[in-house]
Amino acid sequence: MLLFRSEERVSEWCSERGVPQRPLVTVPQLWQLAAAWYSSRLEADARRPDPDEIRAIFARIGLADPFWDPQADTFAGPV
Amino acid sequence: MDFDSQVKVCVYRHFADTGEAPTAVDVAGRLGCSSGQVIDAYTRLRLRRVLLLEEDGSTIRMAPPFSGIPTPHRVESAGRWYYANCAWDALGIPAALHRNAVIYSECGQTGEPLRLEVGGSGPEQSNWLFHCLVPAAQWWVDLVFT
Repeated sequence: MLLFRSEERVSEWCSERGVPQRPLVTVPQLWQLAAAWYSSRLEADARRPDPDEIRAIFARIGLADPFWDPQADTFAGPV
Repeated sequence: MDFDSQVKVCVYRHFADTGEAPTAVDVAGRLGCSSGQVIDAYTRLRLRRVLLLEEDGSTIRMAPPFSGIPTPHRVESAGRWYYANCAWDALGIPAALHRNAVIYSECGQTGEPLRLEVGGSGPEQSNWLFHCLVPAAQWWVDLVFT
């Protein structure tokens, strides 16, 4: 999970490693993910979101690709 | 609060207060129990995907968003330094602390440094992009690689 200066830099990174380029996330979207995931993490009853909650979080910020589905069969197997 | 939750809160508070992972002895001293009881709780918390442990089973590698080891993703907040596990977790640290922060990271391709201020309403405007190679369904298969 890395940050890149531009989409071109992402493409270079993927090409050099022979790996597929995945859906890109903007900094505002990443902040929404971070807040949804971690804003209650220091509280006693905090817990990791369950799969349905994870799908809802991603969908809310426009990340509906199966890539973000924690139970997607599409991506079974090694990366 | 059950014992595992007490251990979890103690671990996270230690990270928030110091920027470093507590040892099992630290947590045991705080909770008034044995380090063996703490390590047993670590194992259960690992199974619940709350903590990631080193191979010794007793050293905390990750209590997301905090990292127990140095990484390229650093966060400064209220005069204290933290290491994040990844770019996502770098933003997760100010979100968890509910404090302003400055994130220091780098471009994954070129190493160009990134300095990103995060205030109460979120990060400053930035055109940088986040890329995750591993699909969500496989994140915990190898969380360090993810």
